[in-house]
Order: sequence, then C-alpha cells, then structure tokens
Amino acid sequence: MAARATPARLAKPVTGLSDRMVAWLFIGPTMLLLLALNIFPLFWAIALSFTNYRANRPNEPVDNVGIRNYERILTDPDIWISMQTTANFVFWTIALQTLIGFSLAYFIDRKFRGHAFWTTIILVPMMLSPAVVGNFWRFLYEPQIGLFAYAVSFVSGIPPTEIAMLSNVTLAPWSIIIVDTWMWTPYVMLICLAGLRSIPDYIYEAAEVDRASPWRQFWSITLPMALPFIMLAVLFRGIENFKMFDMVNLLTGGGPGSTTEVASITLKREAFEKWRTGYSSAFAIILFVAVFGLANIYVKALNRVKQR
Amino acid sequence: MSLTTAHSVVVPSQTSKRIAGTIVILYALISIVPLLWIFATSVKTPPDSIAYPPKIMFQPSVEGYCNLFTTRTRQTPEYIESLPPAANFCDEVARKRNMVIAGPSNFVPRFVNSLVIAFGSTFCAVFLGTLAAYGFSRFKVPLADDLLFFILSTRMMPPIAVAIPIYLMYRELGLSDSALGMILLYTAVNVSLAVWLLKGFIDEIPREYEEAAMIDGYTRLQAFWKVVLPQATTGIAATAIFCLIFAWNEYAFAALLTSGQAQTAPPFIPQIIGEGGQDWPAVAAGTTIFLVPILVFTILLRKQLLRGITFGAVRK
Amino acid sequence: MTGWPKILRRGPMEALAVILIGLGFFMLFQPFVLQLYSMSFITLLVGTLMFIIVSKFPE
Repeated sequence: MAARATPARLAKPVTGLSDRMVAWLFIGPTMLLLLALNIFPLFWAIALSFTNYRANRPNEPVDNVGIRNYERILTDPDIWISMQTTANFVFWTIALQTLIGFSLAYFIDRKFRGHAFWTTIILVPMMLSPAVVGNFWRFLYEPQIGLFAYAVSFVSGIPPTEIAMLSNVTLAPWSIIIVDTWMWTPYVMLICLAGLRSIPDYIYEAAEVDRASPWRQFWSITLPMALPFIMLAVLFRGIENFKMFDMVNLLTGGGPGSTTEVASITLKREAFEKWRTGYSSAFAIILFVAVFGLANIYVKALNRVKQR
Repeated sequence: MSLTTAHSVVVPSQTSKRIAGTIVILYALISIVPLLWIFATSVKTPPDSIAYPPKIMFQPSVEGYCNLFTTRTRQTPEYIESLPPAANFCDEVARKRNMVIAGPSNFVPRFVNSLVIAFGSTFCAVFLGTLAAYGFSRFKVPLADDLLFFILSTRMMPPIAVAIPIYLMYRELGLSDSALGMILLYTAVNVSLAVWLLKGFIDEIPREYEEAAMIDGYTRLQAFWKVVLPQATTGIAATAIFCLIFAWNEYAFAALLTSGQAQTAPPFIPQIIGEGGQDWPAVAAGTTIFLVPILVFTILLRKQLLRGITFGAVRK
Repeated sequence: MTGWPKILRRGPMEALAVILIGLGFFMLFQPFVLQLYSMSFITLLVGTLMFIIVSKFPE
C-alpha cells in the first residue's frame, strides 16, 4: 500500500480503462453468449416456423408455408387436448402446493423447538433432480412391489394390484401431480415463510390491542401481507409446470394413450420423433410467447417483493 | 413492551406450538420416505427389492452397486465351474446368479461427463456472471432494466423449444453430443441466475470501499479484483453451488442433445436395465451416488436457498 | 410528465396487458370452445407486446 503514503497520487487522475469501457467489457461477454445461444436460435426458430423444414431430411427443398403451421396447431383438437392436460396438471399442482406449502409455512412460523432442522429436511426434495428422482417414483408406483401402492392399500384396504398409478387412465395424471407436489411444495413453503416473516410484529400487537380475533387477524393481516409472496411462488411454479417435461417424460412418457401428454411432450414427439421441425418450431413459438408473457408478470411481482 | 405482549400471537402459545410442530414433523417424515427408500433399495438384492410386501427388514448387500458398475453375461454352470476362483466380491455375487462379469458399465464415463459438464459450465457461468453483475451493479448501463429482464427471461424459455434450433445449430457447428456444446448451453442457462444472484450480493457491498481504493491509486479493475471480489466470496460460492446443482440435475437438454459420448448421468440412470426389466437396486445405487453431493450442498446452502430460488429478490 | 393522457399512464395500461395475458391463458386452457383456443395465441402475443411497450410509459 505504497499509494497511501504518497499524497501526490491523490491528485493524479486514475489511469486505466474508463468506466464506460469497463462496463461494456464486463457485460459484453454475457450478452454475446446469450445472443448466440438464445436470441439467434429464437430467430432461427421463428424463421423455421414459417416453413415445412424437416431436420431428418436436410437435403429436401424447403417451402415457405406462411402461417399455415400456426393455423394447423391452433385448430388441431389433439393439441387443444394436450393444452387441457397441461392446464389440469398446472391447476392441481399449484392448488395443492400453495395450500400445503402455505399451511406448512404458517406452522413453521409458530417457531416450535427444532423448526430449523425440520425445515431443512422438508427442503431436500426440492433440490434433487426431477428426472432422476421422478424415475425412481416409477418403482414406488409399481402396483405389486411398490411402496406407494402398498402404503395406499394398507390404509384404504383396496388390493394393491388395483392401484396401478401409471397405467390407469384416471390415476396416471394424479401420479404426476403427486410427485410434483411432493417435490415442489417446499419451494412454495420457503417463499411463503419469507412472506410471513416479513410481517412486522407491531401490526399484530396493534391488532391485539384492538382485540381482533385470531381468525380476523389471519384474514386481514397475515394473508394480505403474505399475498405478494404467494403470488411470486404461484407465478414461478406456473411457468415451470407449464413447460414441465422431465418428470412427465420419465414417469409416464405421455401415456397411457395420451392421457398425460402435456404440451412439452407433444412438442418433443413432433420435433424429435416425427421430425416435423417447421411445424414444431411454430408450436415452440406459441409456448414461448405464453411463457414470456408470464415471465413479464413474474418479474413485476419480483420487483414488488424486493421493495419490502 | 408490557407483559401482555408475551401472550399475544407474536409469541405463540405452547399448545399451538406443539400442534404445529407435530404436523410439520409428520410432513417432513412422510416426505423423506421416498429418499430413504432409494437408499434402502440400493443395498437390497434384486429378489429382495421386488418382494411383496415391500421388505423393510432385509440383509444388506452391495449387489446393486456391483451391478451398477459392471455389465454381466449369463453363462452355463459348467463354464462357471471351470473358471478360477472369484477375484472379488462382485465376481462372487455375479456367479451365484449364473453370470460372469463382462466388463465395466457406462456409469463411470457418464458420471464423469456429468462432473465435467457441471463444473465446466458452473465455472464459466460464475465467471461471466460476476463480471456482468458488477457491471450492472456499479455502472449506469443504458436500458439496464431491460437487459436484466432479457437475461432472466432466457432462463424461463421452455427447454424443448430452445432445443429445436440448438439441435440444428450444433449439427452445423459439429457440437452435437459433445461436452463443449453442453457446457456452452448450460453456461447460457446458468449465467442468468448468476447475474441476478450476484448483482444482489454485490449491491450489498458498499461502494465506498472501491472508491477509497481508487483514491489510493487503484484502477477500476484493480479495485474490482482486490476489493470487491474478496468481499463477494460468500455470494460467489453460493451462486456457484446453485449453478452446479442446476447443471448436475438437468435432464431435458441432456436427453435431447446427447446420446453417447457426452451423455450425462440423468438420462443414463433411467436406462439401467437388467434381465427382464429395470434392475432397481442398480438404479437405486446410481441414484444414491448421484444424489449424495446435492444433499450435502443443500445442507450447506440452507441459509441462501431462499435467495437462490427467487433470483436474489427475497433476502430474508 | 404533463400532457400525457391519464388513461395512457403506465399503471392502467399495464393492468390491461396483464388482463390480456391472463385472458390468453384462459383461452389456451379452456375445454369449451375451439374458436377461443384458436384465438388464444394472438391474445397472448398482443398482451405480451403491450406489456413490453407500456412498461416504457411514464408512471
């Protein structure tokens, strides 16, 4: 630190790059990478979505088909049904995760002894690979030998051979909802817990002075104050589950029949099994616009929570 | 504060604490059962693993781990008789089932791929992310909010939608099924998280430190290197672990863009099959080995988790 | 910012864009009318573009 000893240096302007240069030098590489691996492919996909290109036949002539791909996707009853399958999955997972997650957060916020330890235990499933763990759930769901079927039949008395979670048409969607809820309830819980902890004590103290009942306090203080956080969790889970692929692909692969064929699975089949690249690009763009719309709202919610 | 507040909702009563505790502990125990079952299955023999009713008490065995690391072929008892005595435990187990170990399985190379790709992409993402986060935190960047939103939105894209053009692009560039291609792709996905998280961490470091250093004659780069980076170590470490976990767990890109050479563990583990279907003890063994690092990291990270999953927006 | 019509301020316009996106999702997901599903993409696109544009409007 010789510089500190020589006051003459103080007056001397600092040499080196200007701030503006440093800023671009620092931000530039990230931007370039994202341009190359996100924006360029995105525009490529947009261009492809107006053609009948097939990736497995690169030498065939490519025709410009205008917006016909979009028209076909948006009038296809099968794709409409895969959207409803997605909607069903998104709705039930979010409803269950919010309900269970918020309740857990509310109970953990009672600060019973050992709550920190048990919170950590609850958080574990969230960090694991949905694919690798989802794959193992296939074993738990086996009707004869699986632990899940055994436990359910033990409790309900239904013979375990009838609890074929993955091959029964009515149960298969629920098999995915259960795994997703098991995995991501901790996520909602953690954000709700942050929301509950952000409510200052003095508000409750004031309510106590006003003799508001605990029920009133919950509905007029706890819930409204935690709502921005709940919204944040719901939006993010909504985005993630709307594009859910790995868990569904490993658990049911869209089956039985197409009862669990969510949008991402349909897209994968069109793009990487039937190789209708142009058509699937149009489908990808439709999904992308939907996610992008939600992402805009998510970032707005994020900024609102940040101000707290 | 007066004594009455001690009995208010702010401090919950003993009974309500007890009820809350019971419910939470019950949920935690139920939610941890599938993970315990993975571990239990990994130390079962194949017949034990598919017994009905499911066996809770059993004789532990490392057969699952043996099967995970080897490939085996069925042989006649006469042939097995003619072999020299078994060299190791796995040999012995295989021979009891009338099998001979034919060679190592693909698990180790796939696991190494996972390590290389996860660490490679984490390093790149954190390196780029730290620079960009510092840029956004300290300088007036035109359209900073839009750029930050653009960076975050790249993470929200549906993986299959991104995979279609990336597949074509990598085919043109010769990057299909290569570790380099996967590292680049995971870096691009992770850099968004890294920028957002690290910006939060760097925002918390007072500007005065660098300004003082620059008055002392440091250039901007020197101040960044010698003042800001040491202050941001915790944040950088936490960010790195988040990136590592993402790259380690990722399945969709890996399943669609890799098939052999560069395949990582997540698409490989579900493909482990034995005779007559999935070899569940071996799958469980692979899953256990795959999950243990994440478990350790989760426990290390528990105080930063909230920050990580909200892109740095919620700090406590 | 004077001279900017009140209705075109960021707040109400952003709310409108959010409603459009929500409506687009409802149309995409509803199981009742195929025509609504067909129109969902354009609704989502308009809502999203609008959201991006009005976020530049003054408060």
